Amino acid sequence: MSDELCPDNVCPRYVRVQPAPFSVESEMQRLTQGRSDIGATVTFVGYVRDFNERPDVLALTLEHYPAMTEKALHQIIDEAISRWSLNGISVIHRVGKMTPGDPIVLVLVASAHRQAAFEACNFLMDYLKTRAPFWKKEHTASGDYWVSARDSDTQAADRWHAAGAPS
Amino acid sequence: MNELTHLDARGQAHMVDVGQKEITARTAVASAAIRMQPQTLARIMAGEHPKGDVLATARIAGIMAAKRTADLIPLCHPLMLSKVAVELTPDEALPGIRIEATCRLAGRTGVEMEALTAASVAALTLYDMCKAVDKRMIIDDIKVLEKTGGKSGDWRPFEDQSPATEVLSVAQSVSQSASTVPADVGTSVHVRFFAELREQLQMEACDVPLEALSEPTVAALLNWLVAQASERAALQQQPQLLMAVNQEMVKPMHPLQVGDEVAFFPPVTGG
Repeated sequence: MSDELCPDNVCPRYVRVQPAPFSVESEMQRLTQGRSDIGATVTFVGYVRDFNERPDVLALTLEHYPAMTEKALHQIIDEAISRWSLNGISVIHRVGKMTPGDPIVLVLVASAHRQAAFEACNFLMDYLKTRAPFWKKEHTASGDYWVSARDSDTQAADRWHAAGAPS
Repeated sequence: MNELTHLDARGQAHMVDVGQKEITARTAVASAAIRMQPQTLARIMAGEHPKGDVLATARIAGIMAAKRTADLIPLCHPLMLSKVAVELTPDEALPGIRIEATCRLAGRTGVEMEALTAASVAALTLYDMCKAVDKRMIIDDIKVLEKTGGKSGDWRPFEDQSPATEVLSVAQSVSQSASTVPADVGTSVHVRFFAELREQLQMEACDVPLEALSEPTVAALLNWLVAQASERAALQQQPQLLMAVNQEMVKPMHPLQVGDEVAFFPPVTGG
């Protein structure tokens, strides 16, 4: 639940798993403040949709495996840092009950040049969706169900293997 | 720090939301005592009471009561207990019976209310079993002896004062559907289940003695868990069951050591 700042001051990282909403603005400020080596930031925010496996999603509950979640997120960030030259990463994932329109996840990546930030952000989300121990349960008027994993997410993560990277 | 957590800002009673607290292994031990005439105690020991086996009945009553705590105490969360044990120790110095109840679970909230309820109801049952022959029994010394796990850490508030009584081997534990065998943590692995799997199995966690397995691997653990109860077939029906040891994803043949935390869960769906 607490901020963890990587001792590496070239690419600081902030990893948080929390029930509370986050502020993109203040997270961005934290990442970029006092830095003149950052040339690009890419922001990804994931939201709760009101349609998914059923058309009338009223709410969503996110469960996670405390301790493993943070560990997995750090490993995913390690991997991103080993692939791209990055200047900072924030990953904030909410847990608990949320309603459509609520932001669930924030990935912020800072780098000297835009391409690295775009690719790393994409990579971080693909890996987060397939490797970090979060589970969604959707609540609808016709009942609750656990969201199934999507093959498209697995394929999206797999293409980074195909890209032939260190791992 | 010492505010009453069951009262909200307006002083009204409410149930504390523990949804965001970490799941930890928690144990609580509570005691109670019932004092009686020496001859009443002697009759219990001799098995001469009109209502039958006093100690066995009280022990089962205590175990059953622990499971009903949330029904009795208004703001208490319903808990999935993994172990309840009630020990009854005749004490001629009292004279009477000393009761010690132990409750365990892996969860988000402590189990001292369950342990207190078990000890109290075991005492009430002793009273009921013996009241025909003794009208002047006194129930007292109801207290929490020990609490482990959770945010506040471990504590034993009466450690210096607890009487060193010799415990007769009347201890008995139950395993509800929520648990497997009660196991000594020193020889076990701790197993956790998440999301849909946790709901299908109706179990958050359990301890499994490593020597119960055919070999110390995650695969053998899985086979053992399924062999214990038919409703656990869900573990093998999950097409893409994932497993982790000490919070790292592993393959089924991953070796296990005493003290490892093993987790089983369905494919992840975050983001």
